[in-house]
Amino acid sequence: MSNTINYGIDLGTTNSVIARYNAGKVEIYKNPVGHKETLPSVVAFRKERIIVGDKAREYLEKDPENVAGSFKRKMGTTESFFFKSIGEFKTPQELSAIVLKELKNFVYTGEKVNAAVITIPASFDTIQSNATKKAGYDAGFEEVLLLQEPIAASLAYANKDDQQEDSEGQWLVYDLGGGTFDVALVKIGDGEMKVVDHQGDNFLGGLDFDNRIIDKIIIPHLEKTGRFDNPGQELKSAKGKYNRLYYQLLAKAEEAKVLLSAKDSIEIEFEIEDRNGESVEMVIVITKTDFENSIRDLVTSTIDMTRQIIERNNLDVSKLNHVLMIGGSTYMPIVRRMVGEAFGIPVNCNIDPTTAVAVGAAYYAGTRTRTRSSINLKKHDNAPGEAVPDNLQPAPVKIRVAYQKTSQDAQEYFTAAVEGNFQGLFYRITRDDGGFDSGLKALAARISEMLQLIRSTVNNFTFRIYDAQNNPMSCDVPPISIVQGKYNVLGQPLPNDICIEVDDYENNTTRLEVIFEKNSILPLKRTITKNITKTLRKGSTDSVMINIVEGQHTAHPSTNPSIGCIQVVGKDLNRDLLKGTDIEITLEMSESRDLRISTYLLMTDQEFTNLFSPSERQVNIDKLRDEIHDMMKRIAADTKDAERREDYELAQKLTMLGHEFEDLAAEINALSTDDITDRKYQLEDRKRKLAQRVDALTRDKHITEAMQEYFEYKEWCKDLIDAHGNPDEKKRYEELVAREKQVMSANSVIRVRDAVKDYSRLGGPIQWRIPEKLVGIFYWLATTRKDELRDQTKADRYIEMGDKAIERKNYEELRVVINNLVQLLPPDKQFIDMKGTGIG
Amino acid sequence: MIIHNQEQLLKIVNQVYDLERKTAAKEEFAGLQRNIGRIRDAFSEMGLHWASPEGEPYNDTRTDCEASIAGESSENLYISEVLKPIVWIKDGGLQYIIQKAVVIAESQT
Ligand SMILES: Nc1ncnc2c1ncn2[C@@H]1O[C@H](COP(=O)(O)OP(=O)(O)OP(=O)(O)O)[C@@H](O)[C@H]1O
Ligand SMILES: [Mg+2]
Repeated sequence: MSNTINYGIDLGTTNSVIARYNAGKVEIYKNPVGHKETLPSVVAFRKERIIVGDKAREYLEKDPENVAGSFKRKMGTTESFFFKSIGEFKTPQELSAIVLKELKNFVYTGEKVNAAVITIPASFDTIQSNATKKAGYDAGFEEVLLLQEPIAASLAYANKDDQQEDSEGQWLVYDLGGGTFDVALVKIGDGEMKVVDHQGDNFLGGLDFDNRIIDKIIIPHLEKTGRFDNPGQELKSAKGKYNRLYYQLLAKAEEAKVLLSAKDSIEIEFEIEDRNGESVEMVIVITKTDFENSIRDLVTSTIDMTRQIIERNNLDVSKLNHVLMIGGSTYMPIVRRMVGEAFGIPVNCNIDPTTAVAVGAAYYAGTRTRTRSSINLKKHDNAPGEAVPDNLQPAPVKIRVAYQKTSQDAQEYFTAAVEGNFQGLFYRITRDDGGFDSGLKALAARISEMLQLIRSTVNNFTFRIYDAQNNPMSCDVPPISIVQGKYNVLGQPLPNDICIEVDDYENNTTRLEVIFEKNSILPLKRTITKNITKTLRKGSTDSVMINIVEGQHTAHPSTNPSIGCIQVVGKDLNRDLLKGTDIEITLEMSESRDLRISTYLLMTDQEFTNLFSPSERQVNIDKLRDEIHDMMKRIAADTKDAERREDYELAQKLTMLGHEFEDLAAEINALSTDDITDRKYQLEDRKRKLAQRVDALTRDKHITEAMQEYFEYKEWCKDLIDAHGNPDEKKRYEELVAREKQVMSANSVIRVRDAVKDYSRLGGPIQWRIPEKLVGIFYWLATTRKDELRDQTKADRYIEMGDKAIERKNYEELRVVINNLVQLLPPDKQFIDMKGTGIG
Repeated sequence: MIIHNQEQLLKIVNQVYDLERKTAAKEEFAGLQRNIGRIRDAFSEMGLHWASPEGEPYNDTRTDCEASIAGESSENLYISEVLKPIVWIKDGGLQYIIQKAVVIAESQT
């Protein structure tokens, strides 16, 4: 049971971030809507809803009467913000509390946030600090600790990869964000870290750089052409002719700026109408030098402020450990370079500049025990990292909802009647793909909302109730599900996946690939391109089969009924069809479920089309024969396996099923290929039922095996990631882990195997970077796998080269050697066993 | 399913979307459109789908877009320009947004 505070919050001027300390690591929580790590610190009261974050920021400039941002700058002042729609003033403290409450939503584990470390700028005085603290209490935290931002950043660095924490020394923290600049001198002595001095500009940051691209590069360029009147003014005035373009350019300028952090030159491309109404395609090349020249003075001013600190404190610059760089704008090379040149001390860019403050706050929170004993009141505490939500308080209300379950419109009206004590409660409706968010709205006797729909699919929404502190409450409103489709009457969602059967080389069988997903709205059409995997000779009886089945795509093909099948036979071809060429397959399903399959062979320029109606089952005798043969092989293997495990009961059941398949095979062999009786349908049906029984019997075993493999690979991947992963890889790993529950609950071997592949693809490349692993892989290839290498003379030569490379510690060369050795493995063995080889 | 190199793929998707936009409804590009359609199909095989919300109404509940609001008024908005499309991953019954559309919204006057 943890009684440390654990939560760290960066309550920023522009953006806020929440993170949690857990067993030596810090996790940054993402916005459940849009999955960003940052929440814009902007609050809107528009009509009857409270909106926090990205959407509020969009309206900041255009609806200033109802939206407020940058209130952190006003913290602790008597200044408040008036919101016209509610006719009320809100203090910066109240607005900050709203932001904090919204951040609680990021904590997907459902754990209640009762205490937090909140960061404040070094410049905050007692009143400002207290206001921040009170905002925390308003948000429902029982305990709030404050921490200065430069200290938080320094802690983030100190905790990074077991960085040796300095017990003495001082350094600068340089923070250049989107709209503010801060620099602080931090000193550590006697185990205590403190901010000695600081300096800053509340109105200098990334946005200014974006604007410089427009002002100093794009506008002069437009002026030079002589084709536009007053482009600067027309862009920036809300009434201006080019005002729409201005916002487009701002977005492009930021993108250009970010790209120029990594490239030497980029292009900005846009269309603009000249004074004669002619549309002009502009392409402006911006070099890094152009850009840097346009902003140099701004960067210089940050250097000047930093210098002031140094001078004020009579610092010997060479005694400073480093300048710790944070804030997104420190990604810019010019900033790093100019700071480095100005002071001649190491420029430290080792921590993620946008999340460092929250991360540091979380580390701090992980070391601070809670003092208020509200913990005693809590019925239970979650084990660290476990996603067990607190038992939610039930909302004291009864809700009856009404809405149309199908819609032809882009929006659908939702309404509900609420009974009970709803005073002070809020509700919120979100679409499950993250594309709609009602914002927080006060609960009332009657509530309503226009729900935004995605076309031609099932739209699922979740309705939640929150208390005044924004803690979720339980309520019995089932998920809201609306089908959007053009054809209200006929457009029914597909009850099953429609799949195509494709070869599965790895497992030497076939598998299903989804073409139309369950719940898609008819009519549907799709074209896919596949490779021909064997050569068909013109005039021969060789064939390829396009088999379409209906049913769960995770099941084995033979357990699902075929609803249409086209065979392309050699004798119909006008020339040989070579292995590796493309076949284009178009599938159309009408509202009445007619299926049209057409295939187009790119190589022979031939098209084969067939229309199937659903009442007519398609059974192809050759295919049936193949399938039964395939099943018998599977059963034999599974039986052997069961015997080996001494599971004689299963082995016996399987043997019995095997006999039934043998009977079936005999009956089918007696049938001619063009049999026209019902017999083949009956046989097909029997086969399907038998296959389902086999599947049911062996599924457990296959699943267990697959899961075993899954956890092995996950563990393996985790070790690699922990020791050597970069932030991007860590993120991907977390994404994979987040899907685990879903993967496991699908109860499908294929799904689990896919997940194994994901881990293997993630871990493989990491191994490539690690010398010890490379050496391991090399020896493994050179010894265990040596017999399989196809050209032993070549192999010996490579092995000798590899030995030498290891001696010289030349891992670049070793990689090449390994690659060459892998090429010598038989083609079908080159990619398997990635865990062992790291080839991916 | 997990999409690898998501960032790079999105860059490609955005370019394909741009091509779609530039060739849309132009007879002379019919051949090109067929190729672009194939690229779209290939992406949808990977589970990546996109759509442009151009012309649709815009309001503060639409978290599938990042909007810049042009002009003077912020009431009665519609999406006048789409710089990047909404991109979804569809995985089994699951569907989620991996790129919000980047749009310009303005008042319908
Ligand atoms: N690779 C990059 N190159 C250049 N600038 C970048 C890069 N990445 C992000 N930025 C810029 O960083 C800024 C955002 O930084 P950050 O998230 O630290 O700001 P913030 O904390 O929201 O702002 P503030 O600290 O002023 O309140 C934006 O202007 C963004 O364009
Ligand atoms: Mg900041």
